[in-house]
Amino acid sequence: MAATMKLTRTETKLFLRDPIALFFGLIFPGLMLWALGLFFPGFTDHVAELGGDRYIDIYGPIVLGLGLATLGLVTLPPILGTYRQFGILRRLRTTPVHPVRLLTAQLIVHGVVAIASTALALVVVVSLFDVPLPQSPVWFLVSFVLATASIFSIGLLVGALVRTSVSGQAIGMGIYFPMLFFAGVWIPRSIMSDGLRFVSDLTPLGSAVQTLEDSWFGTTPSLMNLAVMAAYAVVASAIAIRFFRWE
Amino acid sequence: MAVIEVAGLVKTYGETRAVDGVSFEVQEGEIFGIVGPNGAGKTTIVESVEGLRQPDAGAISVLGLDPIRDRYEITERLGAQLQESRLQDKIRVNEALELYASFYRHPADWRDLLDRLGLEGKETARYADLSGGQKQRLAVALALVGSPEVAILDELTTGLDPQARRDTWDTIEDIKRAGVTVVLVTHFMEEADRLCDRIMVIDHGRVAAIDTPAGLIGRIGSKQRLRFRPSNPLDDGLLSRLPDVSAVTHEGPQTIVTGTGNVVHSVTALLAQQHVIAQDLRIEQASLEDAYLALTGDALVETGSENR
Repeated sequence: MAATMKLTRTETKLFLRDPIALFFGLIFPGLMLWALGLFFPGFTDHVAELGGDRYIDIYGPIVLGLGLATLGLVTLPPILGTYRQFGILRRLRTTPVHPVRLLTAQLIVHGVVAIASTALALVVVVSLFDVPLPQSPVWFLVSFVLATASIFSIGLLVGALVRTSVSGQAIGMGIYFPMLFFAGVWIPRSIMSDGLRFVSDLTPLGSAVQTLEDSWFGTTPSLMNLAVMAAYAVVASAIAIRFFRWE
Repeated sequence: MAVIEVAGLVKTYGETRAVDGVSFEVQEGEIFGIVGPNGAGKTTIVESVEGLRQPDAGAISVLGLDPIRDRYEITERLGAQLQESRLQDKIRVNEALELYASFYRHPADWRDLLDRLGLEGKETARYADLSGGQKQRLAVALALVGSPEVAILDELTTGLDPQARRDTWDTIEDIKRAGVTVVLVTHFMEEADRLCDRIMVIDHGRVAAIDTPAGLIGRIGSKQRLRFRPSNPLDDGLLSRLPDVSAVTHEGPQTIVTGTGNVVHSVTALLAQQHVIAQDLRIEQASLEDAYLALTGDALVETGSENR
């Protein structure tokens, strides 16, 4: 436990020293919502085709999902790839501290950054654009935890198998962009066709955005969306643990 | 007392027998060298001792413990520097040492280690900003930060410039003086000769020889060679009649006399008596490098005869 905390402290410092990870992982979601709300024409107007909602309302959950995906799929896998490539995991195996502690530390760091980045984005939309605070806070929390668990498990799975930082980056990105599409970054889910929305429901990020939106505006998330995220979390992390390569 | 005992170690990767029946013992307090060509199996041997690899056959005991079964206890008492292992680019020297020190029951004072390894003043330097020699010395510091009884250093000086290599040698001698048993994997004969109490020569996954550096050199005979340019013409017959001389040859203006025992004394005495001055005189003795080449060359021949 002491070693895990010590590793977490060191990995936090290293994360804070990486300006790109810091910008995209921590600041970007809040900044993006601020810029969209302020500069995108009509973003804060009520729109008939969204059933009277404003774009800023429905983009809140989408950008939160994007933030989680950036941390889990863009930042995490190359770090794990680097640690394998550099022999850092192998080096740890020769000490009394098992390298699984380093993975735990990485997940803690990414989890804390995810919470901070989500909080920042919430502060931006709630204080600047009259978006309400999450109306079902407990369901919002459940959705956030499941969303983070499912996305990070997929990132962990990629990181478990890649040999290098570069391949971690490539494969992570290859999953990231399709996920963003299904999350509704380009076409919001409420405008998607039924078929497309069904596929989106089957992706962890699509379900994440839906449950975050539901709980934010006071609807109980559907069991199907919650189950999809839970399933990805369990299956991906089980495969990651089973096939993790220390070198 | 043997700190490391390896008997009949075998490790196969696919079709290749990387290590093929290797046995050796490392005594307490010595520097034990493992030398051999690239791909001879050196790293596989030490990684098996470190418990990073599970051997296919054979027994390994380190400080009376089994590297796989007693994994945790071994990691507390054995420090390792791995070949081609590095740290995070942005980690600072003091952070790395403090972190690794926190892993052990009885850590050494890492500030003291920094001074001993000549890294004082580099505490807050980032890993990426260290020179090759400094990175290697930090790797040694990390291997020693748990106060180990045994340190295994794998290709420590590969890629270092000659000055950094020599500085690292001093470091290794310091480690020995501090009472730590050292296993040193290298392919520099000069390094093995200078540092090691005993050397194991590995070739094609087998032990070609285990001996002291002098013992290894002695195995190829105590031949000496004198090379000089005589100031006046000198009759070869006078030289070859000397009791210790085995051959006299010429290379351009140079005379080369090969022999054993007192050959140097006999030749210089003859030259003085004939009033001949030996210009550009050089005396060559067999080196560890010669012994190594002879040993690994022999092993090649043996493998050839087996295949018939």
